[in-house]
Amino acid sequence: MSNAIVESGATVRHGAEEGGPGENGREQLSMQQALNRALDEVLAESPKTLVFGEDCGRLGGVFRITDGLQAKYGETRVFDTPLAESGILGMAVGLAMAGFQPIPEVQFDGFAYPAINQIVCQIGRMNYRSRGTLPMPITLRVPSFGGIRAPEHHGESLEALFAHVPGLKVVSPSNPHEAYHLLKYAATRPDPVIFMEPKSRYWQKDGVDVSHGGSPTGAKVMRPGRHLTLVAWGAMVGRCLQVADLAAEDGVDVEVLDLRWLKPIDAETLATSVRKTRRAVVVHEAPLTSGLGAEVAQLITQGCFDTLKAPVERVTGFDVPYPSGDLEDEYIPNIDRILNGIQRVLEYRRG
Amino acid sequence: MSGRHTGGQHSHTVEGTDPQLYVQVHDPASDAGLRPVLLLHGFSSSSKLNWEDTGWVAALLEAGRRVITVDLPGHGRSGAPEDRDSYAPSRIRADLLQIAFDAGVRPLQDGDPSSGLDVVGYSMGSRLAWEFGATQPEIVHRLVLGGPNIADPLAAFDLVAAQDYLADGTPIADESTAGLLKMAQLLPSNNIFALLSLIEAIKAEPYDPAEAVPHMPMLLVAGEKDDRAATMPQLAELGIKAGSMAEQLVLPGRNHTNAITSRAFKQGAINFLAV
Amino acid sequence: MAEISFPLPDLGEGLIEATVLEWLVSEGQQVERNQPLVEVETSKSAVELPSPQAGKVVRTFGRPGDRINVGEPLIVFEVPDDTAGIVGTVPKDEAPKRRVRLSAVLDED
Repeated sequence: MSNAIVESGATVRHGAEEGGPGENGREQLSMQQALNRALDEVLAESPKTLVFGEDCGRLGGVFRITDGLQAKYGETRVFDTPLAESGILGMAVGLAMAGFQPIPEVQFDGFAYPAINQIVCQIGRMNYRSRGTLPMPITLRVPSFGGIRAPEHHGESLEALFAHVPGLKVVSPSNPHEAYHLLKYAATRPDPVIFMEPKSRYWQKDGVDVSHGGSPTGAKVMRPGRHLTLVAWGAMVGRCLQVADLAAEDGVDVEVLDLRWLKPIDAETLATSVRKTRRAVVVHEAPLTSGLGAEVAQLITQGCFDTLKAPVERVTGFDVPYPSGDLEDEYIPNIDRILNGIQRVLEYRRG
Repeated sequence: MSGRHTGGQHSHTVEGTDPQLYVQVHDPASDAGLRPVLLLHGFSSSSKLNWEDTGWVAALLEAGRRVITVDLPGHGRSGAPEDRDSYAPSRIRADLLQIAFDAGVRPLQDGDPSSGLDVVGYSMGSRLAWEFGATQPEIVHRLVLGGPNIADPLAAFDLVAAQDYLADGTPIADESTAGLLKMAQLLPSNNIFALLSLIEAIKAEPYDPAEAVPHMPMLLVAGEKDDRAATMPQLAELGIKAGSMAEQLVLPGRNHTNAITSRAFKQGAINFLAV
Repeated sequence: MAEISFPLPDLGEGLIEATVLEWLVSEGQQVERNQPLVEVETSKSAVELPSPQAGKVVRTFGRPGDRINVGEPLIVFEVPDDTAGIVGTVPKDEAPKRRVRLSAVLDED
């Protein structure tokens, strides 16, 4: 990692407008603050929980997610690791075998690659290999996806890679409320969870109801609609909600489904939505080929073949390495590309 | 750092051999139209340590000067030839002359501020600069000599003691020898045996600043606490006697190691060379 | 505004500390990226450290002669919130813009 100074040298003091409780018991928090709160509470509730990764300790994380946790819980529970992702995840395996609940972080998506062996061959399989005597209650936090004009290795979408590995669960929150509840839930699972944080959504504040999370499993309808279902996760959910508002101006009523769990996928909620709307577009940042959109499209086809009015459309990144920041807006599905995808589905006629 | 630079192993043969010197020419973003500045680093240092990391290259580029740096044989990214002749000061001066011409330096011409060459040296580099100035009056316009000495401390270096120490750890009695060797060993990039060849070659061609005195204007600069440059006033005296305009600048509180980064040194040199 | 702190960087060669020689910037001063910040001396050499970024100097650590360990704070800058502390930049929340319009005959067959 070449940009060590920038990544390891930064401390940030945020503005004074910490969100206090607002109306309806909802607090205005950024996703950073929501994740920090969730980790704080998990650490307080379970003495077996450990948080670690590059710059997670003294610095509090390059995205401030672990800010203040080392001071509060000490260097034995919240600590910095060397710049060696295979070591971070290897240590997580050993700690899990010893009865701990590790919450490791790889600093950026692209740095999960050096730890693939540990993730696939150890974390995903240890429970199976040991006939259930060595579960892996590991929650791997991965700041993920693009959108912040960062250099290579800092904008990748690895959900299809992880979802393909038996034994792993994969989840991605789309807003601060989901982030708080999904992380708390994931961290208390007996199974390994890959927790993909949409880094471009870290800073936006939104209401978080800490006492009423709703179900932590399955997909979630974020906006009901009658004519078409947009399926998305992570940062693309917010963009699809914007698209739904624009589509409404044109008289098209779009439902937005936040898939949340990318493994296992909530096929039932997916089918329920599309049985109603009879049209679907799935949107993701990852490249098209063998992306998770293909899996979603198949599940929809299987559940709704009789009533679908058009083949499921995919609006995705391209089959190229994630580009430099200057080309990011062309790569990530933008509003017009999603609208065009919707239009293609609306225009489809059988025969 | 502004400006582009080109680097590479200098491949022009001199008297039939390739000196394997690493030369970089840094071009300023905005050229002041003045002659290039050649930077000569000290013993056991390199262009990077002596001139880049210390901010010299950036400061000169900022002042609009074209900068030529060269790693001396056995130092930095230059080669470490086996033969002792490659390390002879006279041979190095010949190589420097070739490098200057290859970089486009032209003989001094009255009324053309882009003609000729300014030379800045530090420590051993000042010895080379002094001799280069004395022997190349047609191209050297002005000299800046940092941490200069009337005698080359390397001439008194106890080579036998150093070789014994490197062979079996026998302690070195001479304080200066021990200090210089320690300094040379601190940097893993140094080729210690090449540096000993350099010392051997220097012993064979002792430094006698009175024998050939540069006549162009010179600025001598040293830290107030620089023991290795305690004889700077005598060197200045030599220059003045020979008709040179020799200015001296003493840097308060600085020593031989840390004078090099001094802003006052850089600014003094830039101003002195800006004519 | 946010503050961003830079520690004394790894100076290579296994060096663990440096001595401040002279600060070239003062508190309150606006500096540019790569502008010389401070001269420091190690056991091997003296170096001039360029600024890793642009910003207003809030605090400097160490007076001439003081030693600073690698990794300890050297300087604190004040920067706009959206340039602080990460690789990349904070995305702006902008109103959605569109060029594409939908046209559909939504026959409810």
